[in-house]
Amino acid sequence: MTSGKESILRQNWRQRPFEHVMHMFWFICAISSIIGIFFILFFLLCDAFPAFLDIGFIPILTGERWDPASAIPKYGLVPLIAGTLMVTIGAMVLAVPFGIACAIYIAELASPRMRNVLKPAVELLAGIPSVVYGFFGLIILVKTLQDLLQIPTGESVLAGSILLGIMSLPTIISVSEDAISSVPRYLKEGSLALGATHWQTISRIIIPAALSGITAAVILGIGRAVGETMAVIMVTGNAAIVPEPLWNILSPVRTLTGTLGIEMGEVAVGSLHYHALFGVAVVLLLITLLINLAALTVMKRIKNSQTGGEGKKGLIPAFMMPDILSGTSRYLPYIIVVILCICLICIGIWQGALIVAIIFAISQIIDILMVRQQIQRLWFSIITGMMGIVTIILCLILYDIFSHGVPYVTLDFLTQSPKNLGRGGGIFPAIVGTFLLVTGSILIALPLGIGAAIYLVEYTRENFLTRIIRTATDLLNGTPSIVFGLFGFTFLVLYMGFGISLLAGMITLGLMVLPTVIRTTEEALRSVPDGLREGSYALGATRWQTVRRVVIPPSIPGIITGTILSIGRAAGETAPIMFTAVVFMQRRLPDSVLDPVMALPYHLFILATNVPGARNNQYATAVVLLILVILIYGVAIMIRYHYDKDTRW
Amino acid sequence: MDKDIILKVSELDLWYGEVHALHQVNLPIANRKVTSLIGPSGCGKSTLIRCFNRMNDLVNGCRISGCVEFHGENIYGTFADPVDLRKKIGMVFQKPNPFPKTIYENIAYGPRIHGLKDRKELDRIVEGCLRKAALWNEVKDRLYESAMGLSGGQQQRLCIARTLAVNPEIILMDEPCSALDPIATSKIEDLIDELKKEYCVIIVTHSMSQAARVSDYTAFMYLGDLIEFGETRQIFENPRKELTENYITGRFG
Repeated sequence: MTSGKESILRQNWRQRPFEHVMHMFWFICAISSIIGIFFILFFLLCDAFPAFLDIGFIPILTGERWDPASAIPKYGLVPLIAGTLMVTIGAMVLAVPFGIACAIYIAELASPRMRNVLKPAVELLAGIPSVVYGFFGLIILVKTLQDLLQIPTGESVLAGSILLGIMSLPTIISVSEDAISSVPRYLKEGSLALGATHWQTISRIIIPAALSGITAAVILGIGRAVGETMAVIMVTGNAAIVPEPLWNILSPVRTLTGTLGIEMGEVAVGSLHYHALFGVAVVLLLITLLINLAALTVMKRIKNSQTGGEGKKGLIPAFMMPDILSGTSRYLPYIIVVILCICLICIGIWQGALIVAIIFAISQIIDILMVRQQIQRLWFSIITGMMGIVTIILCLILYDIFSHGVPYVTLDFLTQSPKNLGRGGGIFPAIVGTFLLVTGSILIALPLGIGAAIYLVEYTRENFLTRIIRTATDLLNGTPSIVFGLFGFTFLVLYMGFGISLLAGMITLGLMVLPTVIRTTEEALRSVPDGLREGSYALGATRWQTVRRVVIPPSIPGIITGTILSIGRAAGETAPIMFTAVVFMQRRLPDSVLDPVMALPYHLFILATNVPGARNNQYATAVVLLILVILIYGVAIMIRYHYDKDTRW
Repeated sequence: MDKDIILKVSELDLWYGEVHALHQVNLPIANRKVTSLIGPSGCGKSTLIRCFNRMNDLVNGCRISGCVEFHGENIYGTFADPVDLRKKIGMVFQKPNPFPKTIYENIAYGPRIHGLKDRKELDRIVEGCLRKAALWNEVKDRLYESAMGLSGGQQQRLCIARTLAVNPEIILMDEPCSALDPIATSKIEDLIDELKKEYCVIIVTHSMSQAARVSDYTAFMYLGDLIEFGETRQIFENPRKELTENYITGRFG
């Protein structure tokens, strides 16, 4: 090669300083989101450290009482962890069968038109703010349980489980529906071509092939249930006790998140109690980290098995397990049922054992008596029935809130300040507050998030840095929102001296939605096929030219969807702003970003829990919040469906 | 030939939504012979073969009129059950589609869903079908390993073995060799030759030479019409229609 040619190449490369500026810009975005993420971990650990130092990590974990208010304060997490576990397990017992049944219905049984209604509806439900669910739980569910079961108070594990079950349903349904629909069509056809019924195909081919996706769905649902704060505070009774006996689902409990939500507002800063609460947050964070890691591992396996490798490891052998077992023993179902019964009898629920045995006996009789077409009809009606129940419950919730609230949503209500502790007047400051918080948080999260995503996808190969960013965003994505609230409180409100202010709230919410923005943008950019990039490079385009002209335009709908979903999330969240930005009864609008504001979800929370006799305004606030969030999500879903039709690579 | 007609298609029309994909197709299929469907892409040959075991039922907006008689009984009749029909008329797809299970379970799946539980009987069926599909010697030591680990040609023969396990009368093959290399293709072709001793085989193929090699009868389709049907030799050596001749001689396609 001649030196002349080389110098031409080098010259051209030097003539593009702009390329380097852009590269640096995206790099800075990526780095600052990492810094944000590590700040969160750092400050939480710093504040939790004194508590672990004073009491010891193990004593905190194994202490049997949580009683910070007594003469000799006790900081033991056992009742809180027990509460969290019980409520979560209860929620999953309800949500998993219903969720999977609904997913099967939507993916396999529903007509295309039905599916086009149900899928966006499920996504909409995922957007309903938790405080609205909590409000419904407090007003309707708790009262109903009280009357139905003749118990002094309905605030119990049962109420929490039902409510969290309903709340985690959308997550479970939409993720498992995705998994079921992405089972390759040729597997289904292969099974049907052998003369299998549709149900046999579903139960023996489709469900096993989608199993890891369904597992991930369940794990994500668990994560949602563990991290939920507001709804849990409103319905579980919040007594920090371990129920006696352990399976007494009518006992009140208190969860880890609930403790933070209740006590953080009233604790003296710097006291042992304060640090102990951060200890609780760290434990909560650890639990959710474990859950998320589990979900990530499962998801990664799915990816590996789908992108070839035809895995000797991972997914496929997991499917083989039942094959091998069924090969060795067809008495396996009997053995499992017997073991389950013995376990139930051991912990004293002989009724449970009886039910299991009866159900098993019935299923065996059905198996013998009915032909497979009838079995299919039976299962399909069970699944359709479960779908129906879920639909009815959700319609009931929406109907209750709208029918009670809509008459009170008047122009005055929307434009006036609250009077008489929110019993009268309107919610204008709350609407403005929510608007300001959301706008600010998006202005913070959007540039950082999109920049970080562009850097990740377009400017680097897989390396140590990208792995850190990706893991950090994945983990942050599942972090309970209350943990962000705690971080905002200690870092922004106290350490940075912002006080309880709009600014602190914006930054906290911004950090909370950052992972969503990064994730959705990354996905949108990745869905642009590499062929297009190569085509552009082959014409001599620079990297930034390629990104700007070829990659970004087709991914804009995806990015917009992600943004709008983040807006919805930011508008509905209560826990992160509870200690950072909002005060109740802020009658005037904020003058500067350092003033506190009011926000709709928090307003609803306080009205529902602390102000008796404000029923009309509670419902009306819930309606306004609900409409706002549904509108935001609706727009996002419409944009996505619209562009889904247009772009098919 | 009339006696041994196993499948008789008469005046079959098919629409995908507004698209009229098959027009008035009439076709007799002889038992224990190989019938091949040839024609350029998009001529409706895959659509036609998928009518024979009602796989088109799965396609949204697909409507069918006319009738397909299997042993003299209309498979689109009011009381006909596609599930039982597919047990009699098996299908092998374009892309090998083994289930993500072990080799053994892939074969045993069919008998199991039809209610067979006896382990010894299953073992016997699995071995028999793998032998018939000329795969036994290659996989007998790895029956309990994933079927996904087999090569493409082996996977396709596994799919054929899987179809044999439910003991069908007709085996439909929708371009079974299009995803395979020449050696695997010739193995499948040898296998088809073996299979026609016991089964009726209908094969859709892109390759005219393959049709000429393996089939006894050939049907030529073009744009949803069945242009010509006859003995393979006659179609290739002495086509009656000009369109057929043009296609056979490579003037379009």
